[in-house]
Amino acid sequence: MAEVLGAKDLHLSYGPINAVRGVSFHLDEGETIAVIGANGAGKTTIMRGLSALIKPKSGEISFLGEPLGRRKTSDLARAGMLHIPEGRGTIGGLTVLENLRVAYDIRPNDTAFAAALEPVFNHFPRLSERSSQRAGSLSGGEQQMLALARALINPPRVLLVDEPSLGLSPVMVKEAYQALAGFQSSGMSVMLVEQNVRMALRLADRAYVLQQGEIVLEGPSDDLLSKPEVLDAYLGSHG
Amino acid sequence: MSAELAQQIVNGLVVGGMYALIALGFTLVFGLLDKLNFAHGEVVTLAGFIAIFSVNMGLSIWLTIPVVIILTGAVGIIIELLSFRRFTSKEGHSVSALSSFALGIVILEMVRLQWGATPVQLDIPKSIYISGTVLFGAPIPWIKFAIFSISIFLMIALHLVMSRTKIGRSIRAVAEEPTSARLLGINTTLVTQYVFVIVSAMAGVAGLLIAMQNGIVTSDVGFTFALKGIAVMAIGGMGDMRGAIVAGLLVGVLEGIAFSIGWGGISDVIVWFLMILVLLIRPAGILGGGRQAETRV
Ligand SMILES: Nc1ncnc2c1ncn2[C@@H]1O[C@H](COP(=O)(O)OP(=O)(O)OP(=O)(O)O)[C@@H](O)[C@H]1O
Ligand SMILES: [Mg+2]
Repeated sequence: MAEVLGAKDLHLSYGPINAVRGVSFHLDEGETIAVIGANGAGKTTIMRGLSALIKPKSGEISFLGEPLGRRKTSDLARAGMLHIPEGRGTIGGLTVLENLRVAYDIRPNDTAFAAALEPVFNHFPRLSERSSQRAGSLSGGEQQMLALARALINPPRVLLVDEPSLGLSPVMVKEAYQALAGFQSSGMSVMLVEQNVRMALRLADRAYVLQQGEIVLEGPSDDLLSKPEVLDAYLGSHG
Repeated sequence: MSAELAQQIVNGLVVGGMYALIALGFTLVFGLLDKLNFAHGEVVTLAGFIAIFSVNMGLSIWLTIPVVIILTGAVGIIIELLSFRRFTSKEGHSVSALSSFALGIVILEMVRLQWGATPVQLDIPKSIYISGTVLFGAPIPWIKFAIFSISIFLMIALHLVMSRTKIGRSIRAVAEEPTSARLLGINTTLVTQYVFVIVSAMAGVAGLLIAMQNGIVTSDVGFTFALKGIAVMAIGGMGDMRGAIVAGLLVGVLEGIAFSIGWGGISDVIVWFLMILVLLIRPAGILGGGRQAETRV
């Protein structure tokens, strides 16, 4: 299968702090991968590097077969990379509908906006009820729905999701993962970053375990799930 | 209502509309970048002289409107490029302030080299200052209605652009969450350029309207109006567009009333003291919609 996103010997740093040190991975078309790791392991930093929010110190990133080079974050988004960041990245001062419109406008689309809204509101009826409400006034769970709805209203080639379960109630976590499973079965390539190991491994085809900026373990999710003692060694008491 | 008071209130609304147009420019740039654009006022001056130049070239005063919009819009791109684009670090706020201040002086001095420091006549028919109507016993020339209508029209147009269009949504998204906006495919540099074009063109139209109202253009007009624009921005709440409009009209009318009761000499003291009071009591502006002034720095 064709690789849609990959990194080779990627180093990312914040000034003197080397947060990610020599990480390599790949995401193939239609596949779901998870990067799991404890607090401060460097998961969010990898995501920021992939969407060009921070420039790599060294190493290579390729997206849809081309090196990232000096491409801008907004260009990558328009080329089909949707990065749902930690904290969800909804625009609080815009209404729910306006947030959806911004996501719809990322790439030209054959579907009219009204038609593109239909699957979104079918999937997340709560968003339809709240469509004229400011996104900032939504609950955490509703904001996560709004964030995930971006991938529905204008499906990206590659979806990057940073800790979709963060700060959510168990019911909401389940709902978020159901949405992700839906994207997955529609053929979207998904890269997931999580502390919630069990949820992530159940969804992902493969996973990488990150510890202090390095990948210490990788393999099919089922293999990792069958070795909880190994995971525990790297992740502490998580999962 | 006495004729004198009616006259001054109308004058206040007309001038207040221009304050609002200029203050909207300050507040939009501030809302987007948290920066003050000190070159803004000189765009007003430049526009007045562009109007004089165009009218002297034989253009009607109405046809100078698009000329002013295009040229001052282009100046906006230059201001952004020279004084804002590069300065993204923590010190960028003060650097941009200094740089735009210097750029404003460069524009002003270039205008003075070309047109001198003394008032220059705008060559339009004097009749437009005479024919008009009577309101509460005060004669009001049509030109004042025209000027006020153009200001209001621009404010409504800006409101519609900001609330209904893709570029408006992008501006609001970048103003609030620049990183999220980039992740949503919004080119923040382009959005910033748009904002500078919009605010400079609005300041340009304000400069043209001021020239039409006075019949002359002086090179210090931009400075005078920019000062008021800054006060209006602060009174309306930094970053608050509705606040800038309300405060602009309010300040204009306050000045008018001050004149009609013989307090004209201290109208500036009133306005600036009002700004100090508002900053103390309602730091987010009279409508409370702006950003909290005290939480920044
Ligand atoms: N803006 C920053 N400036 C300096 N250091 C940073 C910055 N952001 C993150 N770091 C550091 O980089 C390391 C990796 O952080 P990162 O946010 O990538 O971790 P994470 O795996 O996402 O953690 P979490 O699960 O808590 O979100 C940490 O040591 C963190 O302190
Ligand atoms: Mg993180």
